[in-house]
Amino acid sequence: MAWWRQDWIRRLVTSLAVVAVVELMTGPSGSFAAPTTGLIGSYNERVSVYGLFVGRRWMVFLVLALVFFGVWSAWLRWGPRTRASWRSTMATPREMAARRPVRWGFYLVLLVVAGFLPHLVNDPYWQSVLVEQIAVFVLLALGLNVVVGFAGLLDLGFVAFYAIGAYTTAWVTGALPTPAPFGIHLNPFWAIPVAIVFVMVAGILLGTPTLRLRGDYLAIVTLGFGEIITIFANNLYGITGGSYGSGGTSGSHPIPHFSISLGPIHYRWTLAPVPYYYLTLVFVVLFILGFSLLEHSRIGRAWTAIREDEVAAESVGINPLKYKVMAFAIGAASAGFAGVVTASQSNFIFPATFTLQLSINVLVLVIFGGMGSIPGVVAGAVVIQTVSMYLIHTPPAGFQESDLYMYIGALLIVTMIFRPAGLIPSRRRRREIILSEAGEAHADEVLTGDVA
Amino acid sequence: MSDLIFDVRNVTLRFGGVVSLNDVSLHQGRGEILAVIGPNGAGKTSLFNSLTGLYRPQEGTITFEGRNGVALSIIGKKAHRVSAAGVARTFQASRMFSALTTFENVKIGAESHRGIGVLGAMVRGPGTRRGEHESDQRTLELLSFVGLSAKANVISASLSYGDRRRLEIARGLATDPQVLLLDEPAAGTNPAEKIQLTELIRRVRDERGVSILLIEHDMKLVMSLAERLYVLNFGSVIAEGTPDEIRANPAVIEAYLGSSEQAEDRA
Repeated sequence: MAWWRQDWIRRLVTSLAVVAVVELMTGPSGSFAAPTTGLIGSYNERVSVYGLFVGRRWMVFLVLALVFFGVWSAWLRWGPRTRASWRSTMATPREMAARRPVRWGFYLVLLVVAGFLPHLVNDPYWQSVLVEQIAVFVLLALGLNVVVGFAGLLDLGFVAFYAIGAYTTAWVTGALPTPAPFGIHLNPFWAIPVAIVFVMVAGILLGTPTLRLRGDYLAIVTLGFGEIITIFANNLYGITGGSYGSGGTSGSHPIPHFSISLGPIHYRWTLAPVPYYYLTLVFVVLFILGFSLLEHSRIGRAWTAIREDEVAAESVGINPLKYKVMAFAIGAASAGFAGVVTASQSNFIFPATFTLQLSINVLVLVIFGGMGSIPGVVAGAVVIQTVSMYLIHTPPAGFQESDLYMYIGALLIVTMIFRPAGLIPSRRRRREIILSEAGEAHADEVLTGDVA
Repeated sequence: MSDLIFDVRNVTLRFGGVVSLNDVSLHQGRGEILAVIGPNGAGKTSLFNSLTGLYRPQEGTITFEGRNGVALSIIGKKAHRVSAAGVARTFQASRMFSALTTFENVKIGAESHRGIGVLGAMVRGPGTRRGEHESDQRTLELLSFVGLSAKANVISASLSYGDRRRLEIARGLATDPQVLLLDEPAAGTNPAEKIQLTELIRRVRDERGVSILLIEHDMKLVMSLAERLYVLNFGSVIAEGTPDEIRANPAVIEAYLGSSEQAEDRA
């Protein structure tokens, strides 16, 4: 064998290449005027690693490359054995974890931790992140998981339902230029059912014509729908307030906070995030319960059947269109609720919030966490949103906010290589991936080609 | 109630300029085991796809008389409606829900025609639970009928070819059909499995009263199982009769003997 085709040479070259990419990614930025600044800078820049080492960046990264190479080689040599012994040590805990009481106990502990979380972090920044960036995105990810994970429909315009939820709230509370229905300004609590019904109807209206399409075509159409809603919000100045958002025109007022007035109980939510956190937490738990019951019901099985083989599903009497529309409408519900929370908590909404980027972000959470797995998407949303917000809040040296998606993209690629079914995979999805790698599962072909 | 379950008249199916079925007429009696044979590309599977609502022929009529003697025109109906009316099928290349277990595959068939309530599924009231229980019982009964009880919790992709056929038959029967369409059930099975399969198909008819419509290349199996046959060639019916009549029919012999040359031409 030629020397350059030896396995260890390949590993070394790959290690150097990967680390070189990381070095450039994390290094100083160039600009349009000076495109080479980044390259030269990442070579020249002097860094200090905890004061232990002071020198040029590239030296630090060369060491990293060698460490990477070493770990890789060691893994190839001892990895399988380690993994086998790990598996046998973990067999008992794994079995324990599969038991229902243990699992429910674990979820209960998580819920208690979630309940105390705002007091544990006890920092205004993180408290508002908990509501605006984590709870809301958990809701969005849960909803998109029904569409993408359960029913297998790639929806790139999920943000539309979030926007419809938020704008419906603004409308029924009288915060849009267009008058509230019947002139009644509702408390946002009443906006919750109204918004959920609205987004579900929007899901049915959008789904019925488009869900006849499959795969890529569906993705493109949903992408278009997401854009249309944003553009409507932007351009219908007299109805939505245009790009100024709600409250941008004279005569409109802020979307009110939630408030309760039940007999002796009077409570008003304010700008403070913690009360919103608890309200959202209650709904997150409700949505998780509802969606997981659905997953294990006849409807969940029908979704799986359609995802696996639509023609076969149709031949055993499942109406694919009906179930797909159902997935769209049900998934939209939690996004609609997220819209209500966002609108009421922030008092004002703007079309610029509801971008394509947001749809893609939610999709990333679902894929990273594990499509079709409720614990997975919740974990995915919590992990990615926490890491992102941490990086933005306390940026490490050399980190720029504009680079955030680059790192998330890299994280997603690495996850897909090592855990293709996501952080906490769903059992069915993991099987599908194993089967398709073995060439077993059916592709979503139209009919088998026995056309005479 | 007429004694015909399928009445196909003058059906023509085209794909662009290619005529897949040309003026095909055939009928099947209730409780009959009927076979459709013919060389590769004769249009057998196209016929099945037309009968189950997957294809939509341009001309002709297909009448299916399901439960309660209500006649239903198949052409233009969606596949899931045809299934609900009482037509079940298996596929030439088994199409299971591969990542699901044998049990789940059959259960999907058993519950597909029940009404669906989102709230019912979420609340799991007594009605929903009773429905689940009934579907479970029905699934277990069918698995034992086809002889797959021992493999109920196996992932269906790991089943052998023979077992996949059984699974597809059980899944089809779970929809409570009047007629079961089997597209080359013996393909890829070994001789022992073939014998078991023949017996199973006969039991489907005898014990459950489900009519059988069969496409098969294995002549031994067809001739021993079918009560009557149709022969298709180039999309047209060229012969009809009992196994003995078909064996002696000169047009059939020519189609089959000539088919090797034609098959080469078409290949």
